[in-house]
Amino acid sequence: MRTDASNGQQCPGGTLNRRRFTQGAVAASGLLGGFLNAPALLAQDASPDATGTAADFLLAAPEDGAQSGGTLRVAFNAATANYDLFQGGSFPVLCHNYNGLVRENLMDGLKTIVPDLATAWQVSDDGLTWTFTIRQGVTFHDGAPLTSADVVATYERIVSPPEGTAITVRDRFPALSGVEAVDEFTVNFIFSRPQATFLQLLTEPGMVVYPQSVLAENGGDLRSLVAPGTGPFVYQEYVEGEFWRYTRNDNYWNPNVPYIDELRIIHLPAWPDRGTAVLTDQADLSWNVGIDTFEEGANRADTFMTHRNAAFGAYCVYINAAVEPFTDPRVRRAMHLVLDREALIQVFRSQEQINLSRWVPRSNQFATPLEEIQTLPGYRPEKDEDVAEAKRLLEEAGFADGIPDVDFLCASVPGHSELLGPAIQDMLLRNLNIQTTIRTQERTLLSEDMQTGNFTLVLSTVGSPISDFSPLGNQTLKTGGSGNFTNYSNPEFDQLLEQSDQELDDEARQAQIRQIEDLLDQDSPLLMLGYTDQLVMWNKRVKGLALELRDHWENARVETAWIEQSS
Amino acid sequence: MQRYMMRRLVLAVPTLFGITVLIFIAMRILPGDPLSVIATEGGGQYTLTDDELEAARASLGLDRPLYQQYGSWIADVLRGDLGYSFWGDTPIRETVIRRGAISMEIAVLAVLVSWLVGVPLGILSATHRNSWVDHALRVLMTLLMAIPSFWIGLTVIMLLVTNFAWRPPLTIAQLWDDPVHNLQMVIGPALALGIGLAAGLARLTRSSVLESLHEDYVRTARSKGLADRIIVFRHVLRNAMLPIVTATGAAIGGLLGGAVATETAFGVPGLGSLLVQALVTRDWMVIQNLVLIYAVIFVLVNLAVDLSYGWIDPRIRYQ
Repeated sequence: MRTDASNGQQCPGGTLNRRRFTQGAVAASGLLGGFLNAPALLAQDASPDATGTAADFLLAAPEDGAQSGGTLRVAFNAATANYDLFQGGSFPVLCHNYNGLVRENLMDGLKTIVPDLATAWQVSDDGLTWTFTIRQGVTFHDGAPLTSADVVATYERIVSPPEGTAITVRDRFPALSGVEAVDEFTVNFIFSRPQATFLQLLTEPGMVVYPQSVLAENGGDLRSLVAPGTGPFVYQEYVEGEFWRYTRNDNYWNPNVPYIDELRIIHLPAWPDRGTAVLTDQADLSWNVGIDTFEEGANRADTFMTHRNAAFGAYCVYINAAVEPFTDPRVRRAMHLVLDREALIQVFRSQEQINLSRWVPRSNQFATPLEEIQTLPGYRPEKDEDVAEAKRLLEEAGFADGIPDVDFLCASVPGHSELLGPAIQDMLLRNLNIQTTIRTQERTLLSEDMQTGNFTLVLSTVGSPISDFSPLGNQTLKTGGSGNFTNYSNPEFDQLLEQSDQELDDEARQAQIRQIEDLLDQDSPLLMLGYTDQLVMWNKRVKGLALELRDHWENARVETAWIEQSS
Repeated sequence: MQRYMMRRLVLAVPTLFGITVLIFIAMRILPGDPLSVIATEGGGQYTLTDDELEAARASLGLDRPLYQQYGSWIADVLRGDLGYSFWGDTPIRETVIRRGAISMEIAVLAVLVSWLVGVPLGILSATHRNSWVDHALRVLMTLLMAIPSFWIGLTVIMLLVTNFAWRPPLTIAQLWDDPVHNLQMVIGPALALGIGLAAGLARLTRSSVLESLHEDYVRTARSKGLADRIIVFRHVLRNAMLPIVTATGAAIGGLLGGAVATETAFGVPGLGSLLVQALVTRDWMVIQNLVLIYAVIFVLVNLAVDLSYGWIDPRIRYQ
């Protein structure tokens, strides 16, 4: 049995090396401003006086006696739209080839931010300039040395996307106005206004550094090639629809890792297949399996381990606020109130694990605690009072007899059009006499209908690359946001969002985000059903990833993983 | 016969041309294109602006006039080059060969199973008409025809995983590289598909054999004192073969391209799952080429079936 270093819970499977764990943490925390508590870290690092210098910090497996060798087989969706991580390439399959500037710590369950290619960083007093010191002695897999020119070339694509590219990460950095090299190993990121989430956004495994020479050769467009990286693994082959294969980078700048010789990511898009792959020893780990196989794995605790992680994607019903009578906030509020979220969570349990949540994922420091959510109108299990209030609001809006002929668009997958959609349809009909007609559409085409405004209600998902509310708010809910399909426009919300985006004080930001959540519950642009959980399952011989300590998803980096050889 | 073959092959050209035009236009008319959506599991989806979409489409050559896109596709195909998927760096030809080999094995094995099971059961049913054996076999055949092969697949997988912690391999091993691994992979879908096919074939064999059993030549053979076994296997079966061969030919074409659900249930990465994946991602190049390949297969299988008629029944002459 081992002890969970963060909360003292006992977990089977070896001893966590507390000395090394804390050594690593302290080495960085002393210099970075204390990052044993992730939320605190993020806020502190975002503060204007935060600095980080941790040149000595290097990742390693948190346990003693890590063994080298072997192949790690990961079962996951290994498809990718292309190979460019800034243009929609899939990071679970591509990130192993690369490094970012900073990252979440694999040793403590992603609870802290630690150095990757940046050994130090500093933000100016006004919060408008972030300065990163780049690690020296790092080479790309093609032998080229890493310098600040590579960092500039990589991130300059966000500021000035090359012609013909579609930089999907652009929305995340709305205030980034320039990236400049100070010297060979120092880079400045210039902002037009402070961005509280900047450092956290850089930890996303897709925010990698590409070689400047390869970017230049390809006109800044890497969709068609796996560009060389500096990462712990070297890309070997991708057999489309089957697997990815990486081998260890023998010249990796961190001599501690990786431990495994080969990484193989098996393409299994169906969750149950991933689960059965782990259960039948065809894979060692899967980031998200089907609930039945997850429970089967939990029952076989002698061989497998299971763990739930919060994801940053949520199910919701978009309401087209340009269509009458949904222009009226009272109508939308009434719909928000009558949804029985606990029932919907149960209805959808065989498909995905939704958890009761408001507008911020449960793993985020600013999320409303579950106990409090359960007491809030619309979220609480007792519906009588909420339904009465909803009826009153609808009557006040002039629709006491209900609303006929409402278009309700659902993806043509059974879970949406045959489970969740009809359940919502029934709740709206039974409580408010809102008569919806479910119209199904192929899932990949749903966003086209949404973009063109061809819907009144649509069951879909909303998400963010990080747990913070900011990217979701800016893209989906802000007036004119690129993903604001609901035509929602609330100046008060826009103002609050902008304030919170620039607020570098934790307490003040927490209050602002709570204010935003309250406002969105009153004037709902969409009916939030809840964020999802991912079901991680792995064979107990897989060590080094501290998976049981995680509270949120990453689905990506594995360089500290090692395989316990059977004696 | 050679002239007949040549004529059929020449006639296949306009058929294939029509199919290429149809699939090419269908892909452009149907909603969605390769840039419809860029999504990621667990983190929501990204949205491109109209300008970005236009630019990205242009970079993929999707902004060229349709006749140019069609022309370059056909020119490539005639050179034996199926091109690349919009995003992948593996030639489509390589993918088709790799996955097609697995689908081909499954199809051949399924047909083999269907013949080994279906034809004898059909004969047994016909030669024991209206006996309890016939009734029992007819019920069984109807049942097997009614059960979808993917359901059999899912049930088998579930039983294997829960009781034996085993399931067929999920990654491809070719027959010539690792025969055991390969057989473990293809045997499940081949059996599931073959048994369903066998049920249909058994019914067809039964009715075809019954019809032949009432022919004059059978009465003559019986009056000559030939044993029933010899009458059935040497005379009746050969005459009853034509509809069975025709049905088998149609089944091979269907199995090569249409075993999508069964491939998915068993987790076999064959051509069927490739087509589904390409449809989901709107990878037009892969879809176009796969449909063309299926069309060629259907044309060739139909030709082979027609030619086999002359071998089975020498009275048939090709003109």
